[in-house]
Amino acid sequence: MHKWKEMETRLALPAVKVTVEQQLCKSGNSGVISSSLPELPVIVEERFPELPDSQLIPMDEMRNLLVSPYSPYVSNTGNAQNLHSSPSGFSSVFHHPPIVPHERHGNTNNTAINAGNSLSTYSCKGAFQASIDNFSKDSAEVAWSLDSVQGILNSDDDIPGSNPIQSSSVMITDDLNKKKEWWTNIENEDWKEILNDTTIVESQSKVVYPAAQTSPNVSILHSQIYQSIPCHSGDLIAVTSPLSTTTVAAKPRMRWTPELHECFVNAVDQLGGGEKATPKGVLKLMKVEGLTIYHVKSHLQKYRTARYRPDSSEGMSEKKATQSEEIPPLDPKKGIDLTEALRLQMEVQKRLHEQLEIQRNLQLRIEEQGKYLQVMFEQQCKSTMNKFNTPSTAEEPSSVSSDPIDMAAKTDTSINSKGAESSKQTATKRKMPELDPSNPSNADAIIGCRFFSLTLRWWQVLGKPFQEVV
Amino acid sequence: MKFGKKLRRQMEDTLPQWRDKFLSYKDLKKLVSLISATQPPCSKAEAHFIHFLDAEIDKFNTFFVEMEEEFIIHQKELQERIKRVAEIYGVGGSQPLEEKYEAEMRKIRMEIVNFHGEMVLLVNYSSINYTVKLTSISGLAKILKKYDKRTGGLLRSPFIEKVLKQPFFTTDLISRLVKECENTMETLFPAVLDQYQTGEGGERTLIMAEQVFRNTVSALVTMKELRKGSSTYGHFSLPPLSLSLPDLDLLQSCMLPSPITIV
Repeated sequence: MHKWKEMETRLALPAVKVTVEQQLCKSGNSGVISSSLPELPVIVEERFPELPDSQLIPMDEMRNLLVSPYSPYVSNTGNAQNLHSSPSGFSSVFHHPPIVPHERHGNTNNTAINAGNSLSTYSCKGAFQASIDNFSKDSAEVAWSLDSVQGILNSDDDIPGSNPIQSSSVMITDDLNKKKEWWTNIENEDWKEILNDTTIVESQSKVVYPAAQTSPNVSILHSQIYQSIPCHSGDLIAVTSPLSTTTVAAKPRMRWTPELHECFVNAVDQLGGGEKATPKGVLKLMKVEGLTIYHVKSHLQKYRTARYRPDSSEGMSEKKATQSEEIPPLDPKKGIDLTEALRLQMEVQKRLHEQLEIQRNLQLRIEEQGKYLQVMFEQQCKSTMNKFNTPSTAEEPSSVSSDPIDMAAKTDTSINSKGAESSKQTATKRKMPELDPSNPSNADAIIGCRFFSLTLRWWQVLGKPFQEVV
Repeated sequence: MKFGKKLRRQMEDTLPQWRDKFLSYKDLKKLVSLISATQPPCSKAEAHFIHFLDAEIDKFNTFFVEMEEEFIIHQKELQERIKRVAEIYGVGGSQPLEEKYEAEMRKIRMEIVNFHGEMVLLVNYSSINYTVKLTSISGLAKILKKYDKRTGGLLRSPFIEKVLKQPFFTTDLISRLVKECENTMETLFPAVLDQYQTGEGGERTLIMAEQVFRNTVSALVTMKELRKGSSTYGHFSLPPLSLSLPDLDLLQSCMLPSPITIV
């Protein structure tokens, strides 16, 4: 029964959304949001009833969903650059639903290709990578959202003025596996034919499409999709908003890159410099899909500030600028002193940066391994519970106990190797090993737990060699 | 709450404009304890926690991305300036004037170094917030675990995954900028300075009073401490930091005390 209630809430959402959207437009926020918000409830609406039945939502339907509420807003944008503003609005939709990310570290290529294929499929004008990024993430994360929604709505939590979906990203899941299965089905069937990309679908592991891509990958995307544009190597990546859809003010953020900025500077120079150039003109010249005039405007503003007050370019460096001006012209010796002091400062900074990098890589790997362990553990439990009745043989323990050693060995080698990326790949590949389910029994549960704690202990041991790497 | 203390200390030393951008660890902790207060933890409190966490993350993201953008612009500008100065005042330039050239270069150098420092601090800042998030989430997870073994553990990893892919944690771009900056600097600084012994530390002290430098040293120190063998060492903790920076303590002692004390 409560499902109906939930659906009603969903249906009621558009009204809420539209109001918010209007407010946002008034407040002169990035217009990108304008056409996006109402789409959210529609999408979830469609998904939600299907999920409990583990039915597949045909991608066509989804596509229609995406396109149809979208079209009324195309005319709204009133911008000369329809192509730019409307699709960009499109992108922000997918920031909102709560998210369980699918994960693939460092495998940015897939995103580009995935997005590329999705783009060709989804014929919304100029739909670009970011939106599809988010969309795929979005669909993938429905499992999460369903549970969270249920959890919230069950407790009658009606947060006024905001989408219940948005506020709920609590993961209270009973049948996560079921959702996983459902998602895998969708993945395998619909996405396969749509994406034609086996690398995406192949992994049963989760795939995440990081919000920021390194430029080469996106350049591939751009060159695939768009015609030759002077700035096609520029990267346009809208930034996703975080865990859940909490704040409606979470506007999609542009993430500038040096290449894009280069393109920007070229356009500005063509138009006669920072002062003369207008956002509109720059936008036209840049010809980057998905870039809106608001992005350009704000960027131009920053640029002007930086340019024409080079000593105190941004607010942050004002203090330093004053100090630097206070230093009187130095004679050579003092100049040398200064330089050396600067050099020292540089050393320290470099060191800090180094350490941060290392730390980050470690953290990433730890998380990944932790996830891997978790999955293994769950699989163990599952296989135990599923085949409770069949007789057991003694083969399981050996395969299980070889696993942690295997994994540990792999981890060991990967720690010693310089490339953190490659090690991550290794871990990812090992994510879903085929456990032999042939001897389920009571003993398996115990073995499973033992296995888990064993691997845990391996981890603590492995902590020590990290020092050598550092 | 040792971590909280360390965090606060770091925040005190940080650039004033950044202070409020850190994830408010205190508030997060408060919320977590609030959740544990309700028994069993009701989803409302949890939702509130996550809601708050998301808002914080969002705030942080905005800040991070904007800083990134500004850094990109600034980087380009510095490069332009260097070119211009070399063209005009440099040896083969249109108005070769060595004094002026030197003065300008000095200014530029200082700016570059500070610029570099800022970027690194941003990365550091991102790392700190990640840790804060991690800690608060695992705090939450621990509590949830008590009441529901299964979901408690599961709650954590999806969150962390999400956190990981947040823009503020994908610092590749900034790292690239930092490296570029370093390269630029290599060409900028005179090659060898060994023969010039520094008689007085006057200028040096001046430099060290610079905000950015202070923060960098402080960040290193904090990092070192955080990663010392802690009592709560678990399989998610990072190993101790082994820095071959022997003068770290010396540097710290050289630094002038912070003019502003933060309560």
